[in-house]
Amino acid sequence: MNQFSFKLRTWPFDLRRVIGVFRPALIVLLAAMALTFSMSASAQEERLTGWERSIVTIEVSRKQYDYYQPWSKRTRRFQKIGTVIGDRQILTTADELFDRTLIRLQKGGRGRWWLGEVSWLDYHANLALVTVSDENFWRDLKPVSFGSAAKADGGYQIVRWREGKLENRRAEFTQFTVRDSQLCPIDMVTLEVSSEIQGVGWGEPIIANSKVVGILWAQETRTCIAMPASFIQAVMDARKKGEYHGLGYFHFFWQQSENPASLARLKLPGEARGVVVIDVPDRPDGGTQVLKPLDVILRIDGFDLDIQGDYDDPEFGPLLLENLATRKKWAGDDVKMQIWRDGKQLDVTYRLPKFEYTNSLVPAAVFDKEPEYLIVGGLVFQPLTESYLASWGNEWKRRAPFRLNFYRNETTAKEHPALVMLSQVLPDSYNIGYQEQRYLVVDKVNGQAVHYLPELQQALQKATNGFHVIEFAKGDGLRRMVLAAGDTEHEATTRVLKRYGVTDGFRFADAKN
Amino acid sequence: MALICGGAAFGRATEAERSVIQITTYMQQPVWDAPWRFESVQRAGGTGFVIKGKRIMTNAHVVSWARQIIVHRYQDPRPYVAEVEFVGHDCDLAVLTVEDQRFFENLESLDFGDLPKVRSAVLTYGYPAGGEEISYTRGVVSRIQLEPYAHIGNRQFLSVQTDAAINPGNSGGPVIQDDRVVGVAFQGQPGLENTGFFIPPPVIDHFLKDVVDNRYDGFPQAGARVVPLQNPAYRALLKLPDDNVGARVDSLLPIPSSEKVLKPEDVLLRIGQYPVASDATILYQGNRLSAALAFQFAQQGETVPIEVWRDGCKQELALPVNIYDGDRAGGFQYTGLPRYFVYGGLVFTPLSLDYLRTIGRNAEQSNSDLYYELYYRRAENSSKARPEPIVLASVLADAVNANVSTRGRMLVDKINGVRIERLEDVVRAFETATNNFDVIEFVSHHSFECLDHTEVTKANAGILKTYGLPGDRRL
Repeated sequence: MNQFSFKLRTWPFDLRRVIGVFRPALIVLLAAMALTFSMSASAQEERLTGWERSIVTIEVSRKQYDYYQPWSKRTRRFQKIGTVIGDRQILTTADELFDRTLIRLQKGGRGRWWLGEVSWLDYHANLALVTVSDENFWRDLKPVSFGSAAKADGGYQIVRWREGKLENRRAEFTQFTVRDSQLCPIDMVTLEVSSEIQGVGWGEPIIANSKVVGILWAQETRTCIAMPASFIQAVMDARKKGEYHGLGYFHFFWQQSENPASLARLKLPGEARGVVVIDVPDRPDGGTQVLKPLDVILRIDGFDLDIQGDYDDPEFGPLLLENLATRKKWAGDDVKMQIWRDGKQLDVTYRLPKFEYTNSLVPAAVFDKEPEYLIVGGLVFQPLTESYLASWGNEWKRRAPFRLNFYRNETTAKEHPALVMLSQVLPDSYNIGYQEQRYLVVDKVNGQAVHYLPELQQALQKATNGFHVIEFAKGDGLRRMVLAAGDTEHEATTRVLKRYGVTDGFRFADAKN
Repeated sequence: MALICGGAAFGRATEAERSVIQITTYMQQPVWDAPWRFESVQRAGGTGFVIKGKRIMTNAHVVSWARQIIVHRYQDPRPYVAEVEFVGHDCDLAVLTVEDQRFFENLESLDFGDLPKVRSAVLTYGYPAGGEEISYTRGVVSRIQLEPYAHIGNRQFLSVQTDAAINPGNSGGPVIQDDRVVGVAFQGQPGLENTGFFIPPPVIDHFLKDVVDNRYDGFPQAGARVVPLQNPAYRALLKLPDDNVGARVDSLLPIPSSEKVLKPEDVLLRIGQYPVASDATILYQGNRLSAALAFQFAQQGETVPIEVWRDGCKQELALPVNIYDGDRAGGFQYTGLPRYFVYGGLVFTPLSLDYLRTIGRNAEQSNSDLYYELYYRRAENSSKARPEPIVLASVLADAVNANVSTRGRMLVDKINGVRIERLEDVVRAFETATNNFDVIEFVSHHSFECLDHTEVTKANAGILKTYGLPGDRRL
């Protein structure tokens, strides 16, 4: 299959959901142990040696939303691992730190919990720094050193706190590869190791030569997936210098050049090399696209590309070219490219656009925002987002309604920058006849195009002759709906909210955000 | 036991069973992603029954893709060869003839009855799997409604649900009530126990009337998506009385004869003799059924009188109904072998449900662009829809395509600059090419493959021979 930049592939959100089942038991056990052990904090600290002094348990409480009932929310609590990396800095992954309400930390695997807070977080890179304001917490803790994941003379070890003890498991190197980041679809280098350890992927450090060489963020059966230390260090250094503004990416599609006839068609002389650009969508930042379809990319950032689209990374060996958008490069940075166009070799400068979750027609994720909705007489309108689709569970890409899912393949345009849908109808006498309607994407309301909930709310102010006319996108569902406007509508909305236990009739953020 | 328990209603059932025919079909289906090939021959059992005119009625799916059809009379070991005279794949009915007229000696044809009442008892006859003797099962009519007909896959017709066991092999068998056929057993529903379905007399009548001119046309369509009109506000907007009458035309299919007569927002008040209720149903012989049924009594090309509410008043209109085959590829196909063209080992064939099924159960997810093209494109963006979307189905490995990285399942956009609307365009694009390279562009992100035109021309015959293709095309 051809490979493309700007892939919106499966997010490994669900990789650890299986693992999640181990967590409640762990929490209960840890809580029990906390009661059982009455060791004083100072005595415990004196006991800490080696890795015990650098690895801590992080307990996160956060809000969890039910996108079927976006007005309701629950709380979720679980644990992950942090590694002390500097003065008052504990490194972990950003995963599950969104919508947080409380963070507590525990050192030594038992004993007192300390209140903590997130001092820095980046969902693109899936990294976060956690800190604790209480000076006593830092006594006896020791920062680790980072090392290269490519140098593991004595093999790898995965370390974490488990049942009050420091668990230390061997791991074997599998490969360095490039895959989507966990919380955004940007490709980045990953270290994959194989281990019998179970339930990891929550920020556990991988150790080699007494140094941290990676942080785990996912697990697929025996394969443990980590971001290498050099990537983490590069992000941290850029952050310190104020140069980090999120990850960039290559906003174009390309295909391999394994077919010599393809290169011959493009009249590229010499040995087969490079990849062919096939699709160049408009840049999300409005900038000029320097690439054109049928350009052959020969070199990026000084690295020659082979016909599979790989370059030879000095640290990790052959890696997919996508990594050159995140290898010591950040959103807004320039990347030099050497290309072949119309029979000539050219040098171009490609400015990496920043990945914005809202640039997709179906936003790839919603973090730190409560789900938006608008209820009108029992009709529940919501933005179509991947977070909503993920309500169908781990296999949401198969189980969610096909047409809603397929919107993820479509790009934004001025005429449709985002989608609002009728997600369900809360039955009431007002909406009788429409109770079964759901998953319908709104086209217009009272003649006004609707892409965001505030637009829908405004359009509802423009009823004609006492009626709302709602038109839905063409497809296999209902095209048109008419409802009463005015007092009848408002009374119905009030009645529905009361009957279904909904506090607020709407909740939405900034329309363009 | 069933006969004894059946009482008077089934007293003469033993007469009927002599007219029930055991059918054995040796069928061979085409391979849709290698369209010149056929699956191995399969033996399938079914049932039929004698009708007037020395014919046997059965299900279309019993005789589809048949290489040979063998029929057996009741307790007669002699095999007779039967032929399909008429087949209606949409309504899953077929009529067979037997050349050897001895077959019909002393066989009475069964007469058809009316649509049975809900809760009335029926008896099914058939030769289900698990034995060679005729089997009888008694049941009750549980429900009557329009159901999807699984054989075609994308049509709904009147269907009767019964709790009589209808198992593989029962298909095509008569369902009897008061000595008359009130249905043809045809399908079950996975996951539902004690549930079988049979095709009722109105559908059978339509089929038999259709073939009177020695040709089967099929069920025409009104070309309208009719939806309930129950919300008081909508009725008020349309100035319709709140009398529970009338269903709304939400959208139209691209059938010119329908588009001339109907408009979106028309309210159907009556179809033929049937008043249309606000829930888009009609009352038919005591059953409240989808209003679509009212159009299904008409034959192809006939006109159905309708009463609509338009612009605040009633209007009497005459709606011509015609066959719609714009969604043919979205259902299972049985008429004709799959079309294909092979060039340089690249196999091109029309996109169809049958082809998608070769991909597996997850085709909807794994090949969502194909699925969208087949089921949504025409409705959502007809200007971009292709009359016959073409896929690169597979690649027959050869030196000339050794470096082609795609292995198939790709929707073709252009070949040598020609937009591919149908299979003939593929042939023309390759055969009229003048460049050194053939360029095949796909819909997905404009990815493309190139072939050396001269080398392919030399290699084509050898590829056909290597893979045993009878020819490079079936158009």
